[in-house]
Amino acid sequence: MLGTRWDADRLVNLLPGRVRVQVDEFFEALALLAELRDPRLLYALGPAGVRGMLLKRGKQGAPTRIRASHKAHFNWEYPADQPEMAELYARAKQGQWRAEDLPWSTDVDPLNPEVPLIPSSFLGPDVLREHGVRLSAAEELKFRHSVTAWMLSQFLHGEQGALFAAAQVTEAVQFFDGKLYGATQVMDEGRHVEVFSRYLDEKLGRLYQINDNLYVLIDSLMTDSRWDMKFLGMQIMIEGLALGAFGTLYRQTREPLLKQLLRMVIQDEARHVHYGVVALRDHIRDELSARERAEREDWAYEVALLMRNRFMAYEIHEEWFPAMPRARWRRLVGAIPGMNEFRQVMFSRLVPNLREIGLLTPRVLPRYERAGLTRFFGGASANQMTAESMLEGLDRQTIEDAA
Amino acid sequence: MPEPLRERVEQLGRDLEMLVNLWRGRRPPPFRTRVASGAGRGGVAAGPGPSPGDEPGAGPRAGALATRALEIVALTRETDDAVTLTLADPDGGELRFVPGQFFTVLVDVGGETLRRAYSLSSSALERERASVTIKRVSGGRASNHLNDHAAVGQRLLVLGPSGAFTVAPSPAARRVLVLIAGGSGITPIAAIVRTVLAVETSSKIALIYGNRGAADIIFRAQLDALAREHEGRLELRHVLSDPPAGWAGGVGLLDRETCLHELARLETRPGFDPETLDDAEYFVCGPEPMMEAVRDALREFGVPRARVHEERFSQPHLRGQGARARARAPRPQGVQVRRAGLPVAGFEVAPEQTLLEAGLTAGLPLSYSCAMGGCGACKVRLVEGEVEMEEPNCLTDEERARGEVLACVCRPLAGLVIDIGPRRAPGLGGAARGGR
Ligand SMILES: Cc1cc2nc3c(=O)[nH]c(=O)nc-3n(C[C@H](O)[C@H](O)[C@H](O)COP(=O)(O)OP(=O)(O)OC[C@H]3O[C@@H](n4cnc5c(N)ncnc54)[C@H](O)[C@@H]3O)c2cc1C
Ligand code: FES
Ligand SMILES: [Fe+2]
Ligand SMILES: [Fe+2]
Repeated sequence: MLGTRWDADRLVNLLPGRVRVQVDEFFEALALLAELRDPRLLYALGPAGVRGMLLKRGKQGAPTRIRASHKAHFNWEYPADQPEMAELYARAKQGQWRAEDLPWSTDVDPLNPEVPLIPSSFLGPDVLREHGVRLSAAEELKFRHSVTAWMLSQFLHGEQGALFAAAQVTEAVQFFDGKLYGATQVMDEGRHVEVFSRYLDEKLGRLYQINDNLYVLIDSLMTDSRWDMKFLGMQIMIEGLALGAFGTLYRQTREPLLKQLLRMVIQDEARHVHYGVVALRDHIRDELSARERAEREDWAYEVALLMRNRFMAYEIHEEWFPAMPRARWRRLVGAIPGMNEFRQVMFSRLVPNLREIGLLTPRVLPRYERAGLTRFFGGASANQMTAESMLEGLDRQTIEDAA
Repeated sequence: MPEPLRERVEQLGRDLEMLVNLWRGRRPPPFRTRVASGAGRGGVAAGPGPSPGDEPGAGPRAGALATRALEIVALTRETDDAVTLTLADPDGGELRFVPGQFFTVLVDVGGETLRRAYSLSSSALERERASVTIKRVSGGRASNHLNDHAAVGQRLLVLGPSGAFTVAPSPAARRVLVLIAGGSGITPIAAIVRTVLAVETSSKIALIYGNRGAADIIFRAQLDALAREHEGRLELRHVLSDPPAGWAGGVGLLDRETCLHELARLETRPGFDPETLDDAEYFVCGPEPMMEAVRDALREFGVPRARVHEERFSQPHLRGQGARARARAPRPQGVQVRRAGLPVAGFEVAPEQTLLEAGLTAGLPLSYSCAMGGCGACKVRLVEGEVEMEEPNCLTDEERARGEVLACVCRPLAGLVIDIGPRRAPGLGGAARGGR
């Protein structure tokens, strides 16, 4: 695969600028499809890949309609069937909060260097310079504003996906206690949409379009009719991604309102991942055939890599450095300290959860080893952690960094 | 076409458009600028107002209302009898509004504070400043005072923004707007034109603007420049009742016939064929006779009432009824307050106070926005008692029938029991949205 990428880069560099972006983009989509060697994976992600990366459905400037085809699972007996979920439901009711109670009156000035949205070390001035990006102090602040707004915009788009996925999963899940719990998650995700949208609206004043790769993930989950795939995709993978991203920004931001907002959101998300682990653990162990399980193992691995490798913030590239070759931009993004931290936090949450639900079998372990993810194997999974311990961990790390 | 098929064809069209655009190197914009989507979200006084004296610059006569002091940072003479005041927050705060909304300006004339609505005419994207444009009304106190005495550096107390004559700009929207303005009615329309053209790259606008003579046209140069810059997306048509020699635009008073004639002409313009106009939304603002004529014309043109939005300028302002009410109720009146049926508080209204002012002074979390009877945010239900309310105002007949009154323009004539309804979330509701 590396070979293809490199050859494509060389080819692309011979072309004139305008066409170059286009061709590079095309090769990238091809590379994605080529990486999905397994035909079943291609079937699961391919069509969404075409809709997101080539047709850019998320950026067409019109609402997107995606057909869902799962089955709503009714039970007229209302059984108390899953005590762990019943407990999560009880905790979720306790944990409800109102968006209005956040300190919205905080005066947020994205360009104030004293209270930065993200510190300069997030981007790493040296890293920028090494990759040929020279910004004045004022430009650098604006750049940080763009990067923060980009991240929060992707959070917001992801939350919209989470809102609909939570509703679908609530319909499809067979546990009645899961349905009750699911209703609170729908409420949570609605509130997340509310707070991120309001923050972008009132404090940052802009909304970036949805990243093509995020679109692909959401589209494929919306269209997949198998409830456990929706679960796996949404509750484990995307929620894991979100926790990684929220955790990083929570740790890094110096803006008090944003910090408080993320703190509240992280507490909800920790419950969501926990629910995903509980729901999938027994299902994967008891209900699936070996073949079905293998398919989920492969899928989870590929999606994990997709999330690691492909969130390249091209929207920022187009805004700031449209003339820079995309290959160079990829190298730059790959080297940004904040993005690396985000990958760390994400995998430290994701890998233990995959282990817990039984998708880290000896069959796929070597692949994770090759991808350098071994060191996360022993971490705590969501059901072994509370939101408080998670936040404490983040806070502790921040203090250690400062010291 | 059956609905699912049509949806597919439309999607295919958008897919192809995207591919062609990408191949030509025209990429979708990476981000869109966001405008606060409602007055409530823009940090407007909805719900509990600050206690009196909290606000910088709030004079004693502003009472308990959460006014905001803005500085006149530029003054532009648009025509002989219209002036544009550009306002900014002296502390550098942002001015957010939805295009089409108005500020209530508190104007001190001869020892009295008049409250007058002035629509914001600048683009809502520009947040450091916002403009109002004031045209003289013959014998009018506030409008002439501002035209004669406003100067750069002065401060104005304002309330709001309020009003529901709005287009919430959305980058995803692809719509057709037909805007019809007369005289100073161009002000909210100008804000809509400026903002929508910048935010909605797929929307189209037709603007029909009527005036007496060429010298009366407000924003002429700016509108002409926008029409050139956005050719094909802004169809601009000036109509004059007293045109100069060699005038190439429309001719006539914007009465029913002229309006029908202009609409028929619009249908022949590229991009505005009858099928496109079938989906259009209409926004009308101007002098009362024009508004009536346009309403008739649009009905005849087959536009459903729901697609026609109107803003009246000749709406409520204090017309001496306050004085009459005072004469009838010389003593303070007691008010009992209920929330969704349950008693919660009581307060007194002094003879010179409105229900809203007295309630806010007593610390009640009353909603309001324009404080001049124009937006409906301060509606409460009168359970018992009698009030005097300044007329006309924005209450609908149904609202009156339900016993609702506008706290900002009513004064009790006897002891009252009012119900302020369930608690409203200050963040989302948008006081101004509850309006007409
Ligand atoms: C929602 C809204 C938005 C408005 N936006 C604007 C704006 O952007 N620019 C602007 O110039 N004005 C605007 N107005 C009108 C403005 O609020 C005042 O009504 C106007 O300036 C006259 O006030 P005055 O104190 O000068 O007149 P007054 O002293 O109150 O009245 C003097 C005489 O003029 C008559 N009169 C009052 N208002 C009008 C009117 N609008 N047309 C004809 N006769 C009238 C009165 O009946 C009276 O006989 C708006 C009004 C509303 C309700
Ligand atoms: S506050 Fe607008 S009508 Fe009373
Ligand atoms: Fe969420
Ligand atoms: Fe979630």
